[in-house]
Amino acid sequence: MNYELTTIIGLGSGYLVLLFGIAFATERGWIPQRYVRHPAVYVLSLGVFASVWAYYTSVGNALDSGYGYLANSIGISLAFLLSPLLLRPLLNLTQTYQLSSLADLMAFRYRSPWAGTVTTLVTLVGVIPLIALQIRAVAETADILSPEASRGSLATGFCVMITLFSILFGSSQQAGRTRHDGLVMAIAFESLVKLAAFLIVGLFAIYGGFGGFSGLDNWLQTQPDLLESLRSTNYFSAFHLTTLMFFSAAVAMPHMFYVTFNANRGQGSLAFASWGLPLYFLLISLPILPILWAGIQSGSTVQTDYLPVVIGVEYGKPLLTILAYLGGLSAASGLIIVITLALANMCLNHLILPVTQPDAKSDIYRWLMWRRRILITALIWSGFLFYSLPEENPSIQIIGIVAFTGGMQFLPGIIAILYWPAGNRKGFLSGLSVGVLIWLIYLMLPIFTASNPLSLAAINWSGVGIVSLIANTLTFALISMLSQTSDEERSSADSCTLDTIKRRKRSGLVAKSPSEFIKSLSKPLGNITATREVMQALQDLNIDIEDRRPYALRRLRGRLEANLSGLLGPSIARELIDGYLPYSIVSQHGSSDLNVIESRIEAYRSNLSGMAADLDNLRRYHRQILLDLPLGVCSLSSDNEVLMWNRAMEEFTGINSAEVLGSQIADLHEPWLSLFSNFIEEDANHSFKHYFELDGHKKSVNLHKALIETSGAPELNHEGMIMLLEDITETEILEAGLTHSERLASIGRLAAGVAHEIGNPITGIACLAQIIRDEYTDTELNKLARQIIEQTDRTSKILQALVNFAHAGTNNTQYADEVVSVAACMEEAKTLISLDKKSKELEFVVECDSEARIRGDSQRLLQVLINLINNARDASQFNGRIVLQASVEGNQVRITVTDDGIGIPAAIRDRVFDPFFTTKEAGEGTGLGLSLVFSIVEDLDGDIDIISPVDKSRGTGTQVIIRFPCYHDEPDPAQKASNP
Amino acid sequence: MYIPRPLLILLIILYLLFLLSVDWINQMEGTWYRPFLVGFLIIAIASWTHREQDSDEL
Repeated sequence: MNYELTTIIGLGSGYLVLLFGIAFATERGWIPQRYVRHPAVYVLSLGVFASVWAYYTSVGNALDSGYGYLANSIGISLAFLLSPLLLRPLLNLTQTYQLSSLADLMAFRYRSPWAGTVTTLVTLVGVIPLIALQIRAVAETADILSPEASRGSLATGFCVMITLFSILFGSSQQAGRTRHDGLVMAIAFESLVKLAAFLIVGLFAIYGGFGGFSGLDNWLQTQPDLLESLRSTNYFSAFHLTTLMFFSAAVAMPHMFYVTFNANRGQGSLAFASWGLPLYFLLISLPILPILWAGIQSGSTVQTDYLPVVIGVEYGKPLLTILAYLGGLSAASGLIIVITLALANMCLNHLILPVTQPDAKSDIYRWLMWRRRILITALIWSGFLFYSLPEENPSIQIIGIVAFTGGMQFLPGIIAILYWPAGNRKGFLSGLSVGVLIWLIYLMLPIFTASNPLSLAAINWSGVGIVSLIANTLTFALISMLSQTSDEERSSADSCTLDTIKRRKRSGLVAKSPSEFIKSLSKPLGNITATREVMQALQDLNIDIEDRRPYALRRLRGRLEANLSGLLGPSIARELIDGYLPYSIVSQHGSSDLNVIESRIEAYRSNLSGMAADLDNLRRYHRQILLDLPLGVCSLSSDNEVLMWNRAMEEFTGINSAEVLGSQIADLHEPWLSLFSNFIEEDANHSFKHYFELDGHKKSVNLHKALIETSGAPELNHEGMIMLLEDITETEILEAGLTHSERLASIGRLAAGVAHEIGNPITGIACLAQIIRDEYTDTELNKLARQIIEQTDRTSKILQALVNFAHAGTNNTQYADEVVSVAACMEEAKTLISLDKKSKELEFVVECDSEARIRGDSQRLLQVLINLINNARDASQFNGRIVLQASVEGNQVRITVTDDGIGIPAAIRDRVFDPFFTTKEAGEGTGLGLSLVFSIVEDLDGDIDIISPVDKSRGTGTQVIIRFPCYHDEPDPAQKASNP
Repeated sequence: MYIPRPLLILLIILYLLFLLSVDWINQMEGTWYRPFLVGFLIIAIASWTHREQDSDEL
């Protein structure tokens, strides 16, 4: 059954146009994001690894080595089943540092542009034959279906279409650090097509070829040789090496690295793929044996590898043939597209950019995009050239084996990234060179030089593979142990190694703000690119452009390096960053970046178990103690960078820890800057009673500090300092209040004594004045005597009130239980208050019902009134008005003291009765007045209420309302009896 | 080095299954798709272990 050439070309072109359509629809957002972002799409895109090797070569492998053909699926599946050991930590690394290829990863880990360049060159040499293999498979299957077609023209047309697709959907201006959803979706679709095609062909092989499973079993019983070869797999020779080869290919082959890490949407997708991809490979491996056996049964003479396509021809099923052909086309095109995109990035970052870089004045993104496009084209056509070698070239099986054995040479370097921080650049490059040299001489060169067709047995690929890998590993280990590792490389190794949380020492940057970052980077990148990159990094980190904290700037620098690494590769990015954003002091003896360590431990916490988890709990407990301590705690590094700022410190200073962590003490605003800076300079470790003003209130603090001893750097005096801040403002007020009370009590006692002493002569004066008045009637003298008597009466009254008030405050006073006239008390209070000169500036109004009487102690009521009037007076402005009112309301006496002063702020209204609460300056008020009032009112069975403001429109005035049980005269018992 | 507990379980199961299944797969009277049954079993266990994993996004 032959097909027209136009049919083959039409089918191939139509299929590739369909891919264009899917990619285009995805890029335009026509396909809902819930499908585009689904983990199943990620798994299917990883199916790109099931290339022509899995689709065609596996059938030949199944014939040669029985179940050994499963080794490639097992190898790649193991890499994903055990993803927490390899892929998951590598995914973290690639995402954190924006590493888009294996060469980027190697250059980053081994801190050497050479590591990236050599990795790229080895990959290039190994992968070009793999591209050629795909082109060859497409051309040869087309040739089987349409013998009159020219293979060369078919291959050329295929390469043209693939080149166009790769350029259009894989090389945008942001390529290298962004996901290409359109491309990923198209690749996922291709994987689905080849899986469906393979399963359908497999099912046909069973039911169409043998009439079902029982027919197949019956046929197999007649083929003992086949069954024997199927089960004679030597699991301890080439099978293991093939498994290892494909295990390492999960990271080492550029297309797998590209899809696994660049198309990933997070750990969740990888977890899904950890079982999803093995399932995919299991399903794609399942039909291989039935296809092989159906092909054998049909008696086909075509190369075994192409049986999936041939079965349809042999059994007269044209649709099946077309489907199988499209499946093969999917396998080949998917791999070429992804592998060339990945390789183009590697070549750009590690071969082109180290030699020539864009001018700062040019559009860097455009410059990079065009070079990437040129590279994609060059790579695809290099594969075409390789394919075009003379007819004697080896089988696709040999080409594939050689390519994957080359990729295996990276395995020691990859393992060392995560598990051996002592491995260094010299070791890696030496080991890789030795391994690659053996591979080149014994596997690669025979492909070009062999005069007879090669066979797998002839090249002894497994022996060469094992020897090259062992030689590579031993050289790597030996050279690494014997050679020196630079500090930079050690720092990089620490960043990559699993479970290592050591981080570089903190150092200051020359650039002191994001704006200075832009200015510095403008020299190599141009102003537009520098601004765009810095703004992008700021946005990624959610940092403000005005943020000048060293910690924030260090993070910004790291992010910029990561972002530029995604754009230009890690070597160039590091060169740029080190050159234009250098550290001011690079000290190995400074404090570690504790904030980074802490955040790493926090992120890693749920993975800790056993002793590590216990230690972490202990760490958290101690940290919590410091955070919750009611004293302000601030921890400083040796260069005065703030490392801890606890909650009490936040509350007292009003500075959030997120704002201050990582900044210098010198960056704090006043009054903290002077307070802390001066204290740090002082020799004394304790400093008491610092007074300053904060938000209009006087504050006082004690400061304490202790140096944190060094643990291993004798040239430094200390590693930092811990500083405690003790807020003593309330204690100061309390102390002032007590002192004031003491002073008042003394004055009260003194006043009582003085009043008593003055009282005697006043009484004498009054007596003499009475004698004069009585003896000299109707004279001027009589009139003067009366006036003297009036004045002495008044003086006596004042003195008596003073004595009574002074006695009322003493603890041993026995309170009277008497009928108290509120009017008399108000008058007396008014008299006493009027003695204060401040009271003379105010107008007092007394409106009192003469019937207002209560039962209790008049002196205590007097004290209540005086305290309230005092407060009203203090709150009143000049010429203010204070109204004292008392009225009888039913069984209650209602007393009000109303002023038109400033009122009481709502925020403190609930606290005015608290002991020692005052809004007055320290020493001016005790904070006990209203507390005492409250206490007395309660003792007298009354209640108290405050309304403020009284004048709602102006927000001024305060009214204190007190209610006491009213005292009513008991009716005379005799009167009671006569009036029943 | 930290290895998640579910992964340890998976590793042990993989090892045991490999030892136990090689002879079973290679029995002459056995069906040809036995290796795939073992594969499906491993993938089912793996899907369980990976679902249990805690993601720290390190």
